[in-house]
Amino acid sequence: MSAVTSPARQASSGVSAKTINRIVIYGLLALFALFYLMPLFVMLVTSFKTMDEIQNGNMLALPQSPTIEPWFKAWGETCVGLTCAGIKGYFWNSIKMVVPAVLISTLLGALNGYVLTKWRFRGHTLVFAMMLFACFIPFQSVLLPMATILGSIGRFGASLRNATGFNFGLGNSTVNLVFVHVVYGLGFTTLFFRNYYEAFPTELIKAAQVDGASFFQIFRRIMLPNSMPIFVVTVIYQFTNIWNDFLFASAYAGTGDVMPMTVALNNVVNTSTGVVEYNVNMAAAMIAALPTLIVYVVAGRYFVRGLMAGAVKG
Amino acid sequence: MAFLEIDGLKKRFGNVEILKGINVELEKGGFLVLVGPSGCGKSTLLNTIAGLENITEGEIRVEGRAINDLHPSKRDIAMVFQSYALYPNMTVAGNIAFGMEMRGVPAAERQAAIDKVAKILQIGHLLQRKPSQLSGGQRQRVAMGRALVRDPKLFLFDEPLSNLDAKLRVDMRIEIKRLHATTGTTIVYVTHDQIEAMTLATKIAVMRDGEVQQFGTPAEVYNNPTNVFVADFMGSPAMNLIPAKIGANGSELSVVLDREARQPITLSLTGAPAGLAAFKDKQVIFGVRPEALTDPEGAERNGSEIATADCHIEVVEPAGSDTFAVTNLGGKGVVARLRADARIQPGTSTPLAFNLSKAVFFDPATEKRIL
Repeated sequence: MSAVTSPARQASSGVSAKTINRIVIYGLLALFALFYLMPLFVMLVTSFKTMDEIQNGNMLALPQSPTIEPWFKAWGETCVGLTCAGIKGYFWNSIKMVVPAVLISTLLGALNGYVLTKWRFRGHTLVFAMMLFACFIPFQSVLLPMATILGSIGRFGASLRNATGFNFGLGNSTVNLVFVHVVYGLGFTTLFFRNYYEAFPTELIKAAQVDGASFFQIFRRIMLPNSMPIFVVTVIYQFTNIWNDFLFASAYAGTGDVMPMTVALNNVVNTSTGVVEYNVNMAAAMIAALPTLIVYVVAGRYFVRGLMAGAVKG
Repeated sequence: MAFLEIDGLKKRFGNVEILKGINVELEKGGFLVLVGPSGCGKSTLLNTIAGLENITEGEIRVEGRAINDLHPSKRDIAMVFQSYALYPNMTVAGNIAFGMEMRGVPAAERQAAIDKVAKILQIGHLLQRKPSQLSGGQRQRVAMGRALVRDPKLFLFDEPLSNLDAKLRVDMRIEIKRLHATTGTTIVYVTHDQIEAMTLATKIAVMRDGEVQQFGTPAEVYNNPTNVFVADFMGSPAMNLIPAKIGANGSELSVVLDREARQPITLSLTGAPAGLAAFKDKQVIFGVRPEALTDPEGAERNGSEIATADCHIEVVEPAGSDTFAVTNLGGKGVVARLRADARIQPGTSTPLAFNLSKAVFFDPATEKRIL
């Protein structure tokens, strides 16, 4: 706006331009929000409808006689392949896989970040660059080599069982998946923690050294308690990735009782016993999505804060 | 045998020599200040004493025992860091007790030690707070408390006051001096502030480029600087270093100061250092501190060598306690320190008294003191 226009005109045109801007921005935001929320809405309403209503009614209509029956059925009765005991077993499979995988990969990432920033050794940048490179390796390219490795681990577990009567979890599908996800997630968790610790004041470590704290005492007493934001970020990131993973799960635990939730959900939807129970499928999908949703709701605040903190300063 | 001895200490990073053979000694209960511009190696030297950095050559001894291969926690030292380095997740009490906790001191003993230190530093009411809830001065106190509680042989301070504002810095400086006087501990203190060095130290090591330029008491370093760097670095306002020529009138030497568009000033020297004779008719650097260049009424009455000369005053800076006047000698602005109520006008010619017994001479080629 040029400086010679009269103040009155300046004000009026300023206000109208601003209002139009606002309308366009909020209109677009609302449109995008609608676009993203629509599938969720359809899933949610469908999961509370009876089959009659789904077959005869409108997809977007609210349920006429809401029922929670499909949720119970999805949880406890629906057929996954040939067994009809619901998805609850597979849900726990996923939990059993996700919790250790997330915790181990996050803690190892924190330890890596600690060493790469505070206990530097010759070639630390090279090591970090190689770990970064792990972030860019596509899932597909590790499928076969990983299968070979898991096979060897399984054989080793079998010979352990022959020798000691116990295989120490080696060869177990859940353990395999935990291993795969820890290895694959390490690049990301290391990246997060290294960048966070890079800005972490080194004088604190020196002070702790003078105070007589050991390598792990410093890690546990000084580093970890001051890493809450990046810890939350890493946990959310890893939890979402591992919980939602389908490729590794279907490749290494794709059949039987050991399937994680994602694979089981796929099987629920693909199992055809006459009529397709959309309400049960939708309820199952909602149950499958719930944990990540809860993690975001509970820790989302920290997620944004942590991303900022990690990016700008410790 | 001194309490702390640093003997031929060298430190290299690859091919770069950071510390080039440091020799320093400190008696028990002494206060050694390492002072120098940034990058001179003073913090590195402190870190090697603390054991946070390895040394390449030489030895560090405390009470005759070499400590250079010991882990920091085994050296019986305590350190106060520039950023205070308080653990943000612990309370003040937790911070102070962390070292004892690491060494497995029982809880009751820890509490007693915390209470004792809190009383000395008057931080009793802060013990349950987190560092983020403290002001700069309070954090500084807690950091000192963490060091004090260990009752170590040696205290190391790494620029502890540089994060404080000017007034608080003066207060804490006095606090540290009082603490040193009452506890009688041995302290090594790093700073780039020469006033801190002068006021606190019993011994000063002026450093540049990894070498000790001069090591001595504050008075020695201030009055008898060994080279131009030390003379220029210590003192505020800095010593006037004036290019001058040595003249002679028979056997008596004199110093000749050029002036722009005026007659040069010639000051005869009665007590000239012996080495100065060799510089007859040659250029030297004539060093005179602002307080040795003053108005005749303010000059030391019983000074043995007072010479007065008319100088053209260019700028007058009243500073309250003193008045500083700038004149031009030998092509450089020269600062004179006058009494606060000295009658002086810029643009006029005023007699100034040179206290030549306090003057020093340097060889312009080597920048070393002419003795």
